[in-house]
This record gives sequence, structure tokens and C-alpha cells, in this order.
Amino acid sequence: MAEKKTAEDKPSYEAAREELVEVVRRLEAGGTTLEESLALWERGEVLATICQDWLDGARARLDAAIEGDDES
Amino acid sequence: MAMETSLESPAPVRQVANAIAGWVDRLGAVWVEGQVAQVSRRPGMNTVFLTLRDAVADISIPVTCSRTLFDGLNPPLVEGASVVLHAKPSYYANRGTLSLYAREIRMVGLGELLARLERRRQLLAAEGLFAAELKRPLPFLPGTVGLVTAPNSAAERDVLENARRRWPAVAFEVAYAAMQGPRSASEVIEAVERLDRHPGVEVIVVARGGGSVEDLLPFSDEALIRAVHKIRTPLVSAIGHEPDSPLLDLVADVRASTPTDAAKLVVPDVGEELRLLARARDRARGALAGWLAREQAGLDALRSRPALADPRTLIDARRDEVDLLRDRARRCLGHALDRAADDVGHQHARARALSPLATLQRGYAVLQDAEGHVVTSVAGVAAKQKVSVRVADGRIHATTTRTEPLEGQSEDSTDG
Repeated sequence: MAEKKTAEDKPSYEAAREELVEVVRRLEAGGTTLEESLALWERGEVLATICQDWLDGARARLDAAIEGDDES
Repeated sequence: MAMETSLESPAPVRQVANAIAGWVDRLGAVWVEGQVAQVSRRPGMNTVFLTLRDAVADISIPVTCSRTLFDGLNPPLVEGASVVLHAKPSYYANRGTLSLYAREIRMVGLGELLARLERRRQLLAAEGLFAAELKRPLPFLPGTVGLVTAPNSAAERDVLENARRRWPAVAFEVAYAAMQGPRSASEVIEAVERLDRHPGVEVIVVARGGGSVEDLLPFSDEALIRAVHKIRTPLVSAIGHEPDSPLLDLVADVRASTPTDAAKLVVPDVGEELRLLARARDRARGALAGWLAREQAGLDALRSRPALADPRTLIDARRDEVDLLRDRARRCLGHALDRAADDVGHQHARARALSPLATLQRGYAVLQDAEGHVVTSVAGVAAKQKVSVRVADGRIHATTTRTEPLEGQSEDSTDG
């Protein structure tokens, strides 16, 4: 469901994480219509994937730097 | 009082000599400081001839003094001794020679020496030559290290060996100079200035092993101090051992206690630097890894929240809510209906109770006139009037024959 985002409009990690926290807060607070809840949930999934992408990317770069170091 | 002379009326020698003598006398008695270069004391002559040399410059001046004064000196005057004279310049017209006639000769003793050194320090300090803000930082990794020291001296070896042990690739530019004796100060100045001009040299070390106060005197020499003050390259003074502190220490950018210490100051320990570098890199990586782990944990926590992880809970929650509402609705409805039913039943019973049917069934009948009004009193009913009688199961139409009032019945109300 997470559509492939181009690099520019992909929110920064902090922005995505911030919005994700907000989505979860609203979902748990309740009081949203069913339609809204579904929309919120879907948005939550997309944001979570984005955050994971950022973290995986950072992890990969760190591991690459460490491997690069071990070889030299 | 310049003399008026010209080609046509030249002045005689005696007149010129006397004029010079007059000018020379105008200097008057002075205290002068210098180093005794030669002493010639011939038996039978009651004046002793000396040559007094300037401590730094290559300038000297003949000095004469009486033999009694010379002999009375204790400790005796020897060549190379530093002295202070109270003397008056005198121009000996006969042979046109100028010399200082010394009336008083003071040996520059150790206490005296130190006192004079202290005065010189205060003088130079007052001029701001030792000001802290003038101190220049040493370069971390100097291209070339300039070294002023005595040829193949212990100091030279200490500096070179220690520096190379810390950083094998260090480049040295050594300028040899006398580190003792009258020529020392000027040679050191010349060496320092040469290294200062040298483009590659980024730091200069002046290194000398231990020695007596006199030995180290050249390193408190005013000219040297001023020269060091002027140069641009940072300078490290490494003279003598820990306690020794010639004025050079004060004007230098950094004071090293010994030549070995100087080597440590000018050259980093490359091995140590590499270890520091590696540790810094590891810590950077650790910090980043730590940060990543924390953020990952945060994200995992967020994702595991029921609202995200299991949307069904969202739907279930609503379905339960709906079911709940529906059940409650039903229950309410049920109650309402029951109540309604009861109510109807109750009303029905009451209606039935109030309805005359039962009464009719018990044999009573309701009389109504033609318009259907219930007749409750004989009054107003005439004979031969059409009436209808409602009995339990139907109605009987009839015509009245006559009416008969009964006593005591008419005043109480009948409910109906």
C-alpha cells in the first residue's frame, strides 16, 4: 500500500515520525468517524514504512562505512 | 661652537685637537658596562691599559686606570670578566688618542649580576616584550623545526632523538652557534634570525644543556631578547635544566624545561595521535549506532501500537460498540414495548371496568333518547317519545308510555 515516493516529496525522517505519532494519538483518542479512522490508519502505515526506509538507509550506510574500514 | 675654518684660513692641529678635547670632556663621567678583553700591566708604569668590549656589538674602547686601583681590585680583574666602570672620557691630544679614564671598577659578581639581570628583566617587561598576548601558539605539525644549539652537543642529540622517536618524518634545520662565552649571544641572534627567514621553518628551538648563571648569561642578553621579540616564527626556549630561567624563557612563545621537553612540545606523538583518531572514530560510530537503535526501537514501539498493528481492533471496537448500542436499543425497545403492553392492558382493563358492558351483562341497560343522549332522569322525558335501550348484546328501540319519578334519587351524581 505504500506507494513509491520520489525523493523530493518524501518527508524527512523527523517529519514522518512526528506525523506518525500524531496519527497514532488521534486513532487512540477515538472520536473520529469510521471513514477518518480508516484514512488515518492507512496514513499511519505509509508513514511507518517511510520511517523504516530512512532507518534502513542509515543503517546500510553505517555498515558500509564499517565494512569499508575493516577491509582497509 | 663650530669652528670657522676654510681653505684659506685652516685651523692648526693644536686648535682642532683642543676643540675635540673640549667636546669629549662634555660627556662627563659615566658608568659603563662591558667585558674586559685585554689587560696590559707593565711593571714600572703606573697606569694600566685595558680594552673594554661591548657585551654584544663588536665595539671596544681603550681604558686606562691607575695601577693602585687595578691592584686593589678583589677579585682581581681577569680577561673576560664583566665589569662596570665609572670613567671619564679623555682625549690625549699629543697622540690624538681617546680613552676612558676609570676612577672606579666594579666587578660584576654573581649577586650583582643577578641584580642587574632583574633590573634588565623589569626594564624589558615594562616595555611589554614579555606580554602574554604576544605568545604565538606552536604549530601542531611543523613542516621544518629550526634548532639553534652548539655543534654535536648533548642538547642537540636530545632534541633530535626525542623528536624523531615521536614523529619519524620530522624535518630539522639546525643552525649551530656558540652556546657559551662572549660570542654566544650574537651568534645565537644571527642563527635565530637566519632560521626565522628560512621559509620552511615553522618553529625554532633554542636548546642548551645546564650551566652556571654566567654560562647562561648570553641567554639573558638584551639584544637577543629584542631580536627574539621581533621574529615572526614561534620560538621555544630550552635552556639549562628546570630551575634555570634566563630572560629568553620570558620572551619565547613557549618555555621548555629541558631540550627533551622541547622535543615533546614541538612534535606530536604520532602514535598517540593515531590512537586518539581511532578512538574518536569508534566513538562517532558508537554514537550513531546508538542513535539508530533508539530510533528503531521507537519506531517499532509505534508500529506495535494496536491502532497501527491491528486495525481490526479499530473495526472490532466499533463493531462491539455498535453491537452494544444495538442490544441496548433492543432492550430499551423491549422494555418500552412491555411497558406499552402493560399500559394498554391496564388501560384496557380499566376501560373494560369502566365500560358499561359488564354492567349491561349483569342485567343493566342504558336508556338513550332519539339523539343518542343518555337519559339519566325522568325529567324531560315525555310519553310516546322514541327511545333506544342498550343492552349487553344490542339495542332495543321503543317508545315511552309514561314516566314515574322516585323520591331521593335525583340529587346524587352518577359517574358516567
